[in-house]
Amino acid sequence: MPFLAHGSHRIRYELDGPKDAPAYVLVNGLTQYSELWAAYRDTLIGKGFRVATFDLLGQGASDKPELFISQDDQVEALHLLIGELGSGPVFLSGISFGGLIALRYAIEHRDGLAGLVPMSAFAELSPQLTLLGNALRTGLILGGTGYLQDLLLPMNLSDSWLKPLLGNLDAVKRQGWLINDVYALQNLMESFLDFQPLTPLLPSIKVPTMILNGEFDFLTPRSLHETLRVGIPDSSLVIIPNAYHAFTLEKAALTADLLARFAEDVLANRWQGDKKVWIAPDEPGGKMIPFPDGYDHLRAIPVQRAAP
Amino acid sequence: MNQFLGPLDASGRVPPLQQTRVASLLISAHGALARQLSVVLPGQLKAGWQTELNAQLFRETEIVSLLMRATSWVPDFTLPYLVLTWEAAWLPKPARGIADQKLAAAIDVAALGHAVHGAIRPAALLPVEASAEDPFVVALRRIEFESSRLIQAQIYFLKSDDLKPFREAVSSAVEVRHRQVRKLWAELLEGIGIRRDAEAA
Repeated sequence: MPFLAHGSHRIRYELDGPKDAPAYVLVNGLTQYSELWAAYRDTLIGKGFRVATFDLLGQGASDKPELFISQDDQVEALHLLIGELGSGPVFLSGISFGGLIALRYAIEHRDGLAGLVPMSAFAELSPQLTLLGNALRTGLILGGTGYLQDLLLPMNLSDSWLKPLLGNLDAVKRQGWLINDVYALQNLMESFLDFQPLTPLLPSIKVPTMILNGEFDFLTPRSLHETLRVGIPDSSLVIIPNAYHAFTLEKAALTADLLARFAEDVLANRWQGDKKVWIAPDEPGGKMIPFPDGYDHLRAIPVQRAAP
Repeated sequence: MNQFLGPLDASGRVPPLQQTRVASLLISAHGALARQLSVVLPGQLKAGWQTELNAQLFRETEIVSLLMRATSWVPDFTLPYLVLTWEAAWLPKPARGIADQKLAAAIDVAALGHAVHGAIRPAALLPVEASAEDPFVVALRRIEFESSRLIQAQIYFLKSDDLKPFREAVSSAVEVRHRQVRKLWAELLEGIGIRRDAEAA
C-alpha cells in the first residue's frame, strides 16, 4: 500500500492502469474510503484511462490529524498525488466534500487539469446545507459513526437501492464504521468552521467542467449545482435521473460511463460546455437529452422559465 | 495475525486471555483518567464547565467498574510488567512550550484523554459473530460509544479560543499522547495475535 508524505502525515493512495494514459483522479466524499471507487477503476481502466484514488487526511488508511484538518491541506495532498501522474492529461472528479476539494484544486491550480467533474458538489453553504451539516455533526457527536451513517443512508440513497439491503444494513455500514474514527470525521466536518464561499472564484476555472447532480439530491440540491453552472464558464450541468446525493455508489456504471465520455469528448476537442443543462440517460451508453427548452430546471414540477 | 478478537467459542464469546489483556489496559488507562479527574474536581463547583469534570470522573469510573465485572479474568503472568509500563506512560507530562505549568499540565491531561478516547476503539476489535449476550462484548461496545462522547470535552478544551496562541504546542502534545497510546495499544493487540494498522487491512 503506497503512501505520499505531506509534512509529517501519510496519504494512502493507489494508481492503476497504463502509465502513459490520460488519468482520472477520484476524490472521496466525507465518510468514504478509496475502495468505494473499485467499479470506476475497472470501467475507466477498461476504457484506456489511468485511475488515481486516495484517502483524504482523516479518512481510511491515511493519517488522521488529531485536532485540525484544513481544506488547504487536502488540496495540497491532492496536488502531491497529481504530481505523481506525470505530464499527461489529468481529469479530476470528486463527490460531495471531495467535489468541493476538487473545485478548490481547480481554482488554485488553473493550468494543471484537462477537465473537471464535480459531483453532488457545492461552492457555498446555503442555510439548509449549513443547518444539515450542523445536525449531522451533532448526530456524529451524540451517536457516533453508526448514527451518522443511519442519517446519511436514507437521505442519500434511493428506496430501490435500500430495499433489498434493509435486513442487512449493519453489513453495509460496517466497513465505513471500522475505517472511520469519530474525532477524525468531526475534524473533517469542522474544516468548514472557517469556510469562505468559492462562488466569486468560480469564473477562474477555465477547464471543461461537467457538473453532475442527482435528480433527487436532498443534501446538495439543484440550486447549489446551479451556482457552479452559472459561475464556471466552460461548464454544463448533467442531471442524473432518479438519483440521490450518493449516486456514485448507487449508479456506478452509469457515472463511470459519463466520466469516460466526458474525457473522450474533451480529448477529441468535441466538448462544448456552453452552460447547457442535460438529462443523463438511465443506462450507460444511452443518449444525453437536452433539458426541455423553456422549462425551469431548478423546479421539481414543469414550470416554464420566466422570460429574461 | 488476525484483525479481530477470537477465535470465539461456540457461544460467541471472546477468549478469556484476550479479555484479560484488553480489559487490563482499558482499566489502567481509564482508571488513570479517573484519578487525574478526581484530583482536579473541586469540592464545590464554581464554573459551569466544571460540571463536565464531574460527569467525566463518573463515566471513567463506570468504565473501570464495568470492565472489572464484565471480564472473564484468567491468570496472566505478563500483567505485572505490562501494568507497570502502562501506569508509567500515563504519568503527567506537562505540554512543552507553555510557560504556565498549570495550563501545561491541564493540556496534557486533556491530550491523554483525547488519545485514550480517540485512538482506542475496543468495539472495532469485535468480529460480527461476537455474541450480544456476552457482557464483555457489550462492555466494549459501550466503552467505544461513551468514548466518542467523552472526547468532546477534550476537543472543546483543546480547540478553544483560549488555547489558540498555543496551537502548535497543543497539537504537538496531543500528537505525542496519541503516538504513545497507539503504540501501547498496538503492542498489546500484537501480544494476543491482532494487527489492526493499514498494512494489515
